[in-house]
Amino acid sequence: MTRTKADQSRQNVVYVPSRNRTTFRKTLLACAILSTGLLAAVVLTSLVGSERLPAGASLCALLSFGRAQCALTTDQFDILFQIRLPRILLAAAVGGSLATAGASYQALLRNPLAEPYLLGISNGAAVGTMVALVFFGANEWSRPLLAFVGALLATLAVYRLARGRAGATPERLVLAGVIVTTFLSSVIVFVTTLMDATRIRSFTFWLLGDLSGTSKNLLPVAIVIAVAGAIVLAANARSLNLLMLGERDAFDLGVEVGRVRIIVFLVASLLVGSSVAASGSVGYVGLVVPHLARLSLGSDNRITIPAAAFGGALFVIVADTVARTVIAPRELPVGAITALIGAPLFIYLLKRT
Amino acid sequence: MTLCSLLNTRAKVFRPPGFRSSCPADAPNFLCRRMGGQRDSLLSLHLTLKRNRPLGLFGTLVLILGFHLGCAHNKSQTETSKQIREITDDAGRRVVVPLRIDRVISLAPNLTEIVYAVGAGNRLVGDTSYCDFPEAAKTVERVGDTLHPSLERIIALRPQLVLVSTASQLEVFTHQLEHQDIAVFVTDPHDLEGVFRSINQLGAILGQDDQAKQLIEQLRTRAAAVEAAVMHTQPIRVFYQLSAEPLYTAGHDAFVTDLIRRAGAISVTADVPGAWPKYSAESALAARPEAIVLPTGGSMGDGNSTVAESLQRSPAVVQGKVYKINDDHLVRPGPRAVDGLEEMARALHPDVFKR
Repeated sequence: MTRTKADQSRQNVVYVPSRNRTTFRKTLLACAILSTGLLAAVVLTSLVGSERLPAGASLCALLSFGRAQCALTTDQFDILFQIRLPRILLAAAVGGSLATAGASYQALLRNPLAEPYLLGISNGAAVGTMVALVFFGANEWSRPLLAFVGALLATLAVYRLARGRAGATPERLVLAGVIVTTFLSSVIVFVTTLMDATRIRSFTFWLLGDLSGTSKNLLPVAIVIAVAGAIVLAANARSLNLLMLGERDAFDLGVEVGRVRIIVFLVASLLVGSSVAASGSVGYVGLVVPHLARLSLGSDNRITIPAAAFGGALFVIVADTVARTVIAPRELPVGAITALIGAPLFIYLLKRT
Repeated sequence: MTLCSLLNTRAKVFRPPGFRSSCPADAPNFLCRRMGGQRDSLLSLHLTLKRNRPLGLFGTLVLILGFHLGCAHNKSQTETSKQIREITDDAGRRVVVPLRIDRVISLAPNLTEIVYAVGAGNRLVGDTSYCDFPEAAKTVERVGDTLHPSLERIIALRPQLVLVSTASQLEVFTHQLEHQDIAVFVTDPHDLEGVFRSINQLGAILGQDDQAKQLIEQLRTRAAAVEAAVMHTQPIRVFYQLSAEPLYTAGHDAFVTDLIRRAGAISVTADVPGAWPKYSAESALAARPEAIVLPTGGSMGDGNSTVAESLQRSPAVVQGKVYKINDDHLVRPGPRAVDGLEEMARALHPDVFKR
């Protein structure tokens, strides 16, 4: 089965040096369109929420970057800039991180189902976040830090488990990921059961993915990591393209396979760790968005990875807007919405191809 | 022994005390071996019949159905002779309990408090790890916590009645207990009146009517005193923060919403559907609460002692009107809810209670 997939990707990958300029232009165009869409989404979703704000005045305040209060009352201004906008930006950072990580896993493992969740990295980060909440509840820095540690440890565990006598084959990696995921899931259930009742509830929401209860201190960290991570992964896109031909072929073509793999695992687990620390495990983003990008723009990672970064941000912003408005003033966890949108979309995409 | 008596006396036959003792003398030996003392009687009947004659499952079912119909008359006779009464609980279920109850298990801390308050604490044979009031409740055998009680331990304690609070949502669990012929009584108070009703019902079930009525009378007097004191004050707009991250509050169905109203205040989330909704931070800020109540510092620890980041600019925080109230008094719909009412009223209207 894997062999046929590898053959398929061999057909799909078009890596011809002479067409470099075309690819570059195509990437730029896709990024320009998607970033414009992302900006528009940020502005438009800032205008909707459980509280109705005057649209004109809100636009005016947004376009002045919060320097002018326009016709908004202080409360409305606070709602827009202290609550709504930070949450939308966090949604963008989380979506971008998860989709970029998913896209690079899929390329590296030559497996269309590879995702932060499948490899147990999300669960590792979730366990790290839980440990932080249990032992250093009040300290906000401990959460992303321990989520990174958890994600890195999970990645390391998967990597070690996958390295058999014949080297780390993609199949072994995915299997190892499944084992690590289930093991960490039971750790999560165990910790949840041991915790006192007031926290159990917030934990279940935490694990479904929820953007509401996040300290603003985490926002700059999440954005910086999302942007930096996407750039590093996009810079490795050429190697990832060659890796899609198979590890031996890539090695023969001059790719330092081991180094690329470690870079991807480190950066992707940083991306996943920071997003899980901020919002819990938001599902389906790492699966749906890269596939959508690949189906519409082709499977060249130099385009797919930046497109997934923007597309993931867009996807989670829209999903979270639905989550916070559909039963307002109550709220849903965003993870429920991404799964609701993501699963049928994914089935449709599978049927179409 | 006839098949009818086998059906009706299955509790006696197949559930020996503690499951450890050997089979009762009147039970057939092969049944005991097969059942380990606790298998359901219909299955056992099937096995009995199957062993004796090869009827097949369908034949057995027809036989059992016939016997059940035939035994129905007998059964109602035994019930009256055993002095059983029927009570309707808050979930609208009809619960059949014996007239005299000596063994009760409580699966929620508020119900444990009520059982002790009506003077039936000595008949409590099991409670949960959350049951920490009064002090004596801590020494009662624990059957797990409110969310994950151990079915085995409950059955081993041979209760005549298990008390459940709907807050713990144990529907499947309730069915399992009923299947074991253990009566389950569900309480579901949505306001202080509902708490009084729970006290009244438990008092009646446990044969402590007088003490329950006395207790309700005292609690009513104290609640009425608070309400009279705050009657002419301007109601304060309160936001009740159950947890900050994510933001949870008390909705329409929570009994604390009623307590807030009685304490001379209005919960800004009083009309939100549900008991404990996850709430939008912007709606909470836009409601401009004049005071914020933080249930904290009780048995759940002081985890909820800071106001959510999104509410830091609300009038309540700006004016320093953030009140920490013992969560045991606000979250548990039991007798101490009136303590919570008094504490909240004193915090919200200090000028009224100074005099």
